[in-house]
Amino acid sequence: MLTEPRAYIDVHILQTVPPANLNRDDQGNPKEAYYGGVRRSRVSSQAWKRATRLHFTERMPEQDLATRTRRISSALAGLIGADSDLPAESSSRLASALLAPLKISAGKKEGDTAYLFFYGRRQLSAVADLVRGRAAELAALDDAELAAEIDQLPVQEKFSTGHPMDVALFGRMVADVPALKVDAATQVAHALSTHAVELEFDYFTAVDDETMKEQETGAGMIGTIGFNSATLYRYASVSLHKLLHNLTDEEAAVTAVEEFVTSFARSMPTGYGNSFGHRTLPSLVAVVVRTDQPVNLVSAFEEPVGAHSGIAAESARRLAREYATATSVWGDTPAFTALCHTFESSGKIAEQLKDTFAEPVAFPKLLAGLRAHLTDTVKRATR
Amino acid sequence: MTTPPPATPAPQGTTTEAVLLLRLAGPLQSWGSRSAFNRRETNPEPTKSGVIGLLAAAAGMAREDPLDELTPLSLGVRVDQPGTLLRDYHTVSDFRDRPLLQAGVSAKGLQKPTSPAKYTHVTTRYYLQDAVFVAAVAGPRDLLCTLDQAVRAPSFPLALGRRSCPPTQPLALGLREGRLEHVLRKEPWQASRRAREQYAAQCGREQELDRPLYPACIDRSVTIEDPEGDDVLHDAPVSFDPYARSFTSRRVRHGWLSIPTGFPRPDTTDDGADEAAGHDPFALLGW
Repeated sequence: MLTEPRAYIDVHILQTVPPANLNRDDQGNPKEAYYGGVRRSRVSSQAWKRATRLHFTERMPEQDLATRTRRISSALAGLIGADSDLPAESSSRLASALLAPLKISAGKKEGDTAYLFFYGRRQLSAVADLVRGRAAELAALDDAELAAEIDQLPVQEKFSTGHPMDVALFGRMVADVPALKVDAATQVAHALSTHAVELEFDYFTAVDDETMKEQETGAGMIGTIGFNSATLYRYASVSLHKLLHNLTDEEAAVTAVEEFVTSFARSMPTGYGNSFGHRTLPSLVAVVVRTDQPVNLVSAFEEPVGAHSGIAAESARRLAREYATATSVWGDTPAFTALCHTFESSGKIAEQLKDTFAEPVAFPKLLAGLRAHLTDTVKRATR
Repeated sequence: MTTPPPATPAPQGTTTEAVLLLRLAGPLQSWGSRSAFNRRETNPEPTKSGVIGLLAAAAGMAREDPLDELTPLSLGVRVDQPGTLLRDYHTVSDFRDRPLLQAGVSAKGLQKPTSPAKYTHVTTRYYLQDAVFVAAVAGPRDLLCTLDQAVRAPSFPLALGRRSCPPTQPLALGLREGRLEHVLRKEPWQASRRAREQYAAQCGREQELDRPLYPACIDRSVTIEDPEGDDVLHDAPVSFDPYARSFTSRRVRHGWLSIPTGFPRPDTTDDGADEAAGHDPFALLGW
């Protein structure tokens, strides 16, 4: 049913955010939730997923991404034309015949579809490849014969496998063509602060430069911005088997995981970014690969971290303890663990983290280790 | 972490009845039963479609797969920690930067763009925050044994009603013998340590004691599937197929069970050890 090997890549991140308002509710205040009986700062999964996705698409080569266009038919005709010496008219007739089984309604203009089609560039080349070398032969057929020939070709299959990376990771909904739906391979939880948080208000006044010149006093305007500062626990899980299923390419699946972890760790929602300059990097990233089930460690913070000691350090200690308890009580040893953190390397926290997770490494090295492990896992399964 | 569940006994090849227990806990959960487009509500308790959906996902079933095997399972839900309602403000836009469509349709059945143009839908999503439930699923032992294994090593990522609500561990509490109601009555209270401590402190205050009181039992509400039940819930799944999604109703009975609180319990964490030791005035005097 599913492409083995089954593996989940859990990403645990602790990140301290200075006074900020990353993700607003309808009152303009930072989102919140109660957990463990106290009020916490919350950043919705949707908000961070969008930030991750933007970060991801900016860095990936265009070939690996999806594109949204009405011009799928002419794009396909262009690919067919480039492969053969068919006149433009014949290649666009072939292209429409190839797309006919998908039942995408045609648009008003020649070569357009009725709505924007969201597909991978690689998928389109795969469809063009179906008629490679046979283009002239097919173009000679009449409409009914051509439709019968095309019916034999796995056009729909080419569009429902080998998805572009961003679609494979984040999913896609196509209302008109349910066969082209893709279930996301990632699961992202709402980020929650590890401690109790109170909403604060920044009362501000703005100066009117023109009235200043005329020696008038008083503010040009006044207002308030809600904000808070928090150490957030962020969790996401990627299922490798789902990615393999969506991408049908082992190399691409491993790259997609690596890129997702990078983008998830490095991205941040931009809400009120110019007012607060809140861009920070995580103080801890732990990556755990499990073959049994994803483990969300947010329960480490059900008892809120107190403000009497360093919150980030105490959160890291709690996370390590919860992880250790989870593995010892359940007896499920993960297949791979990697850690990257910014705590003092000789301190007690660093020692504890090293004992529970792994020897800390720099982030690029963490990614390299993860890549090596996943490549190995995939290879072993296919051998 | 709560106590580990006992290992599931090996399948015995018989079709005797058993009960599978699931602990549904996480910062956020959302169990919708009748959601319109931009208002996504949650029930105060897990729905049958939510629990069956979770089990089906764990077992690696596709949305189109028949649910014949899972729908006859009967469900009991115990509210260990009711949680509170969270309203989440969420906006949606058309990725093409086009105005959104009007709600009504023209005579041709087409939707026109909003005028004046409106670009953002405000959708309201409701969640339950800080809640803990115990779901008991009763049915043939062999099937539940398979499902128990599936929940411990799921094919698809599991969620508490919505993808962005991953569960916290432990999720599977294992199989139990006996009738559903009896099993729910015997299973210790699954609320968080903090919630249980607060309850003990409150009991102490109510009794005008200066210390927490650790009662042996607490009353928790339950909803149990019962053909003779006095309430009807429209949340029994018939199919999750996107082309033929449908639900039917089921009869349930609401009630209260007096369940064990689990006090006093062994403390496994280091900072819990000092609390248990208490204050010994004689130690100060060196006696």
